[in-house]
Amino acid sequence: MSLLSVRNLVIDYARTRALDGADLEVAQGETVGLVGESGSGKSTLGSAVGRLLPRAARRAGGEVLVAGEPVFDLPDAKLRHLRRRHLGFVFQDPIGSLDPTMRVGNQLRLVLGRGGDVRFHLGRVKLDDPRVLRSYPHQLSGGMAQRVAIAMAMATSPELLVADEPTAALDSQVREEVSNVIFSLAADAGASILWLSHDLPAVARRCDRVAVMYGGRVVESGPAREVLGNPAHPYTAALAGAAPAAAAHGVRLEPVPGRPPVLTGPSPGCAFAPRCAFAEERCGHERPAPVRIREQDVLCHRAADLEPELSRRREVTA
Amino acid sequence: MRLLMWWSGRALSSAATLLGVSVLIFAAVRLMPGGFAETVLGPFATAEQKAELATRYGLDQPVFMQYGHWLAAVSGGDFGISMISRQPVGAELLARLPVTAELTVLAVAASVLLGVPLGVLTAVRARPGGGGAAGRLLSGLGVSVPEFVLGSLVVFVFSRYALGLKVGSWVPLTQDPAANLATMILPAAVLSVFAISVTARTTRDAVMGVLVEPYVTAAVGRGESPWSIVRHHILRNAATPVVTLIGTTVAYLLGGALIVEHVFNLPGVGSYIVQAVGRRDYAVVQAGVLLAAGVFIVMNVLIDLLVGAIDPRLGVLAGRRS
Amino acid sequence: MRKLDRLSIGGLACLLVLVLFALGSPAGAGGDPDAIVGPRLQPPGPGWWLGTDNLGRSVLPRVMEGVGTTLLLSSVAVLVTAVLSAAFGILAGYRGGYLNELVMRLVEVLYSFPAIVLAILVAAVLGPGQTAALASIVLVTIPLMTRLVRAAAVAVAQRDYVTSAVISGAGLPRVLVRHVLPNVAGTIAVQGTYALSVGIAVEGGLSFLGFGVQPPQASLGVLIQQGGTYMIAAPWLILGPGVVLVAAILAINVVGDGLRDRLEPRETRSLT
Repeated sequence: MSLLSVRNLVIDYARTRALDGADLEVAQGETVGLVGESGSGKSTLGSAVGRLLPRAARRAGGEVLVAGEPVFDLPDAKLRHLRRRHLGFVFQDPIGSLDPTMRVGNQLRLVLGRGGDVRFHLGRVKLDDPRVLRSYPHQLSGGMAQRVAIAMAMATSPELLVADEPTAALDSQVREEVSNVIFSLAADAGASILWLSHDLPAVARRCDRVAVMYGGRVVESGPAREVLGNPAHPYTAALAGAAPAAAAHGVRLEPVPGRPPVLTGPSPGCAFAPRCAFAEERCGHERPAPVRIREQDVLCHRAADLEPELSRRREVTA
Repeated sequence: MRLLMWWSGRALSSAATLLGVSVLIFAAVRLMPGGFAETVLGPFATAEQKAELATRYGLDQPVFMQYGHWLAAVSGGDFGISMISRQPVGAELLARLPVTAELTVLAVAASVLLGVPLGVLTAVRARPGGGGAAGRLLSGLGVSVPEFVLGSLVVFVFSRYALGLKVGSWVPLTQDPAANLATMILPAAVLSVFAISVTARTTRDAVMGVLVEPYVTAAVGRGESPWSIVRHHILRNAATPVVTLIGTTVAYLLGGALIVEHVFNLPGVGSYIVQAVGRRDYAVVQAGVLLAAGVFIVMNVLIDLLVGAIDPRLGVLAGRRS
Repeated sequence: MRKLDRLSIGGLACLLVLVLFALGSPAGAGGDPDAIVGPRLQPPGPGWWLGTDNLGRSVLPRVMEGVGTTLLLSSVAVLVTAVLSAAFGILAGYRGGYLNELVMRLVEVLYSFPAIVLAILVAAVLGPGQTAALASIVLVTIPLMTRLVRAAAVAVAQRDYVTSAVISGAGLPRVLVRHVLPNVAGTIAVQGTYALSVGIAVEGGLSFLGFGVQPPQASLGVLIQQGGTYMIAAPWLILGPGVVLVAAILAINVVGDGLRDRLEPRETRSLT
């Protein structure tokens, strides 16, 4: 059984549709990279895992199962219990995700409870300077603050860590170190990671599997090497082709000309069709159903007949 | 060091404001019909008294010198002589201050004890697009009923029907605390309606601002209970605007107390000022107005001290008042 | 653009009714406010729908006249405040320097007086009357609006399109009117609404104390003050004008809240 299972999840905000039937599986101990442009629904999906969405968000369909429990249908007390036992979250803004009016030591103590070893948990994220404990968040660097946030998230030994672009706001030198801390802590604890990122090379290097989001759906998922090295969805192909140069500079991914869609309701067909070089008539009005191409699950009407074409292109560019 | 700099800047700025207030009041009194001597001594002063006053205040000197003398006298607590009672204004104000202070303290206490919980509760339960119409109407009503309307109504209801609490027949606190409280509850309640509503609304806004902060989402994600999140993360972070507001509220309450004391016929500073304007007793008006503005300014400095103790980022946010 | 919510529309409707009510007075609807129509201190009934006062005048036309006086006085004062605040706020925020320092100092000084205390000081200088009420409302409402307009102007002045307008040689008046003013208009609208409700309360309070509008002219504050004397025998004397006054302030505040929510919608989250 999967640790996390997202099935046909639909999330609406007041006027826009953020998730339009997303599917995602994360197995025990697995590291999964969730990639996509800004606005693709990554963050909404990440937050939905713990039902952390803002009040304006409404689940219009589908479900999220964590360790078999339906997150959206749990009573509040059970949900809190589930978050404490199974889930940990690390966010993009490291200083912002710490309480600005409380010393770091006190925040850690609050999470660990009586008898928790604050020094030990800071040591685990390679923060040995005792001054950190007496500091307020705004006195820390972004990298230090993110380590503290990681220590707090990992303190309760979660089975699934959801990391929403945890290194995007950091200087490039400390990115690697912070990523190392997260992955090694998770590996030691046998925890799964859902890693939301723009950084395709890093995802390719670190994650077992990758899921690509577009227009509120996961359009392709499978083993990281396969999905990024031999994509089966035209969008992933464009993303993987454009990625190395763009991501290296921390620039927003813009693999294909045009803008990602802003949905106000269910997309009538494939959301990528307007930007897709291979789109045909039915792509505009018929929602693609998942198909299996090699080791990947793909949402594309033409996935099967495009397979040789996309493989050939890879060989030409490689 | 930076904090010290900030504090000295803040103190200087307050002093400048207080000075500005004093200039304004000094100028206002000069502009009042009847001239300065009459203003301070009343229309029935003898030539001898006027001459004595002229030397004392240096009326034959240039205006800015006169202002200097006046400022020096006022700083020393010498606010002149009341035209009506022939008593020093400073002493009369001091005698009436406890009534106004008691009213204000009761109203501030009510606004903190009722307004803050109400604001937190409504914020935590708020839906996007701002709550139910009933709640908004009720909170709107609280800030929309002026003291003189509510006060008149309360006086009517409690004078007409025997409801346990009496209107009027005020008893000094020192004479009989219980009886004093019985006569102060109604005026204090009337005075606090606005303060409670404003405190609740400000608290609600502040808490809603904190609710969308990433550290609250992080706390929710850790599975902390709502009560724990409110206690540990929200109250302290939402406190700055609320504490600042309470400073402003104190000044507002001084104004409201003026109306309430008038309506309920309480011998406080406010009713004293109202009587004084009616009788053209300008020395009293001048002193009362200066007192009210002074309390507001001093209050704001104290509030800044308190806010600095609450929020460690103060040094970073030092520009926030500009 | 989002529409105003239902409550705000209700507030607007209530205001419209009050304005029509006030406009009816000079048109003669409701009767002559100064005519003696019946016995003294009669409870509401046919011929005097809101009762009669201590002279036997019908309260209804007096309340209509009073609403008119109060609304007109407050609106004129708030218009003056809006124009002065816009001028000083924009100049101070956009130009900065000494002008900014001076304006902000003055604002700070005025802000230090509780509203009704400042109003009383003004009345003491100018003498009781409509002018004092008008000047009081302006002086009470000007500090907050100037501050907020200035803050908005400071924010606008740093935007690219203003810089590019300056670089392309647009003169100062043109930049201020064409680029800065439209962007602080929202602030002025919201604050103007709140200022109007403050103005009504200040006029009411000052007239209630006897230092604002003077009888025989009626304003809501004057009516409540006069009614107070006979309150025990004739509570309708304060109930009529009191309810109308509260309705006016409440309606305006509700519209202000609606405007604010529309200009800056708020997001929130659940703690569970």
